[in-house]
Amino acid sequence: MGSVRRRRQIAVAYALMAPAGALVVGVLAYPVAWEVWASLTDFSSRGAPDPAFVGFANYARLLGDAWFWRALATTLGYLAVTTAAKLAVGVGMALLLARPSRLRPLVFLAVFLPWAYPGGVTVIAWYWMLNPPLITGYSVFMGDVKHAVDGALGAGAWAFLSVMLFNVWRGGSFTAVFLLAGLNAIPAELFEYARLESASAWQRFRAVTLPLLSPYMALAVFLSFTTAFADLGNVWMLTGGRVIFPVVGTYAYWLAVKSGQLAEAAAWTLSLVPFLAVGLLVLFRWFDPREETPA
Amino acid sequence: MSGRARRLRHGALLLLAAVYSLFPIYFITVQSLKTPEEDVFGNPLWLADPTFENYTELFAGAQARVRGYVIVPRVPFMAWLANSALVLVGSLALTLGAAVPAAYALGRLRPPGWRACRRVLFASYAVPHTILFIPLYQVIVRLGLDDSHAALVLIYSTMALPFCIWILSAYYRHLPREIEESALVEGATPARAFLRVVLPMSRNVLVAAALFTLGTVGNDFMLASIFLLDPAKQTVAAGLGVMDVSLEELMAVAGVNLAAIPVVAVCALFARTYVRGLTAAMLEGA
Repeated sequence: MGSVRRRRQIAVAYALMAPAGALVVGVLAYPVAWEVWASLTDFSSRGAPDPAFVGFANYARLLGDAWFWRALATTLGYLAVTTAAKLAVGVGMALLLARPSRLRPLVFLAVFLPWAYPGGVTVIAWYWMLNPPLITGYSVFMGDVKHAVDGALGAGAWAFLSVMLFNVWRGGSFTAVFLLAGLNAIPAELFEYARLESASAWQRFRAVTLPLLSPYMALAVFLSFTTAFADLGNVWMLTGGRVIFPVVGTYAYWLAVKSGQLAEAAAWTLSLVPFLAVGLLVLFRWFDPREETPA
Repeated sequence: MSGRARRLRHGALLLLAAVYSLFPIYFITVQSLKTPEEDVFGNPLWLADPTFENYTELFAGAQARVRGYVIVPRVPFMAWLANSALVLVGSLALTLGAAVPAAYALGRLRPPGWRACRRVLFASYAVPHTILFIPLYQVIVRLGLDDSHAALVLIYSTMALPFCIWILSAYYRHLPREIEESALVEGATPARAFLRVVLPMSRNVLVAAALFTLGTVGNDFMLASIFLLDPAKQTVAAGLGVMDVSLEELMAVAGVNLAAIPVVAVCALFARTYVRGLTAAMLEGA
């Protein structure tokens, strides 16, 4: 290929990428930079108009805060439990749907529905179904459930659990459909070969399906993290902050909105960055390996 | 296990998956068709006396009305639906309009640094918009978009863009080069070859990207209620969220169902294409 032509092609490529780049940078660069800046100052809506630079003091305070560690543990626990449940439900339903059956088209639509049902409004119905107002015919029953769960696990446990259930219901549907697409992308011969080579279905699953599917599982997990946060945020907002989950995201929001401690809120928010970075590194290693040289 | 027993077990498990997926929707639908009397005294899983009152009430107009002893507040549901549709169409247009050229450049033209660009774009998916709303609001105000649908369109597009670019560029990367080259040999310009040959071929992946955008837009409640304050400008999610649910719970769930119907219809129509599109993007590893 002539170098003039290639140079022109490169210019065109950058021009084609410009709108997407401008959109992402334009909307997100300032907020992210602002968070970083705010976390290094004593910025507060109640403090001086000119926030002073305080270095890493906010982070240092965070590390000594028992409440922070509890919130971090809850956040990671929430992510771990919902992710495991979504994967289990997703893999199970994807494998069921991958096998031919007369029921398959209808069941496929049914499995697709929880994700298709617009989550931003469904969460409203879902939340009020599980935490109904006093007047409905099943309020007493749900109240008993709530008290039993709260009694066993602590106040607010049922509300938290209901968000987890919603996230698993909706996210499991997404994962199932996503992994079904992944299963379809795996060459059928590999499964045929495995059928001849190995004895039990479980062996086949462990030795063939799981390794081939795992990159897609990693991607599905990563995609579901964002909705896991969004679902918590939605319910938090919906109940006007009455249901306070001790998780990093909602607590940062609470600090910023209710008490105007913007610097602390920013430090709280950014405390999740190391975890996201590790997640992304693992994902890229798995899903976007370097060995392939660009043609 | 014999083939017949295995088939029966498979069928039973499929049914279980369907019931699990549909039960919450069934439950919402049953509640939404109840009269207030049945809501209090009836069975939560069954309907004795279905009524569409909760649905028609949503369209009852601007006048606050009295129903029994309860004053039913006015709900501009039609306006909410129109706003949601507007935001959705805007987000789809902006997301795909930005994603397709970028994905083609990243997957096909591969300028220096394409891999880093692709990774950075994808990593931006992890930015939690819901927590960044204070500086995000500053950006929106600076752009003069506060209390405007354009603010949501911009934000939703940045939320859906990373995934859309990822799958589209994966697809373009693995598309055989001869496909375009034969068009180029016949004298078409590169742009024309793309629009006439490559774009139609990527139809399934485009549908997958569009449905993903739909799911992203549909999942938000928090940002819509932060950025749209004027009740006449709110989307369905933001509007339903501020209803006093303890009094209007039935109407709220009716609204949820009503808003879901068009979305579900679109999704059902394209569900198979969605899977095909994802598969096409995943082939040979994305």
